[in-house]
Amino acid sequence: MRYFQVNDQCNGCLACVQNCPANALRAEDSDANRVLSHNMARCARCGNCYRICPQKAIEFQFMLENGWDEVKSLELVYCSVCGVPIYTVDYRRTLSEKLGKESEPTCSKHRDEVTRAAKAHFLKKKSPEIKPDIRSDIGSDMRGGAI
Amino acid sequence: MIVGNLKPLEEIIESLGDYKNIFVLGCGGCVSVCLTGGDRQAHQLATELDHIRHYKTGKPKFTVHTIERQCEPDWLKDYLTIPENTDAVLTLACGAGVQTMAFFFDSLPVIPAVNTTFMGSNVEPGVWQEMCQGCGDCMLGHTGGICPVARCAKTLFNGPCGGSSNGSCEVDKNIVCAWAMIYYKLKKTNQLHRLMKVREPKNWQPAGGAGPRKLVRPFNKPL
Repeated sequence: MRYFQVNDQCNGCLACVQNCPANALRAEDSDANRVLSHNMARCARCGNCYRICPQKAIEFQFMLENGWDEVKSLELVYCSVCGVPIYTVDYRRTLSEKLGKESEPTCSKHRDEVTRAAKAHFLKKKSPEIKPDIRSDIGSDMRGGAI
Repeated sequence: MIVGNLKPLEEIIESLGDYKNIFVLGCGGCVSVCLTGGDRQAHQLATELDHIRHYKTGKPKFTVHTIERQCEPDWLKDYLTIPENTDAVLTLACGAGVQTMAFFFDSLPVIPAVNTTFMGSNVEPGVWQEMCQGCGDCMLGHTGGICPVARCAKTLFNGPCGGSSNGSCEVDKNIVCAWAMIYYKLKKTNQLHRLMKVREPKNWQPAGGAGPRKLVRPFNKPL
């Protein structure tokens, strides 16, 4: 989509080109035509062109409303449990490289469930013995009697 | 947006000193919109400075370039190439842009060509008016969207002074009294009760009273 749009009332007077502070408008006379060009990267969207145009030819609403330009399309990876999209194939590759291993693609909900299940399994299997960490050389008087 | 005004030409020429290769750098942001420091003004300034009549000895050589915003450090670092033989950078950015440039190109003198004047809006073509002083504790909700900090000549908080006359300020008859505007706006929107509320003294620490201000936002770090 072109954001800078000029309607049929434009008569090529160049008021917009001469008053653009960012030099984002250019006119070139070649062969039989005067061609008006707009540079979106330079444009500061100040609206000077729209204000100055004596023909009311600049449709500035397209600069304000905008639209979405597709810039990239990447293949998705879905949660292996519920099937919601979670990240892209390329992201998964980066993740695997950083982690040094492949992991099951799971969404945050199922990842937590899997983690909880794994922890429960681990704790059940290796229930650690809890021992009080009290040094025998420190008497209760040094702790104010409260241990 | 930030509004700036070009410094007097004599001041700019004096600040150029004996530098022979000057890199004139425009900014495509706010100062471009207020017709002060954009690409067009950078070229105009360089053309004006290029006249031999300004210099007793030889005139310097000017190279002109514009970057979309000079206050973005990573843009400057990644995309701004300063010609090798440059002796000094003459920047048309606001104070934030000048300082960002000076920080990143610390081996070069960075000279401002613009006085940063205020934060304001374009009230009509070619006219910018101060609207905000960035006091950090906005009270526009109580004053009908009219700021007494920026628009009252005395920054009064509790109604107009005795110099307000027929809606004009005593400092300059062309300045509309901010408190008169506040009163009429609140009256029009049935909010006059807001003026009856007694408020605590304004905290000026967010306005810079507690030192240079900084805003830190959490950022999603990439992998």
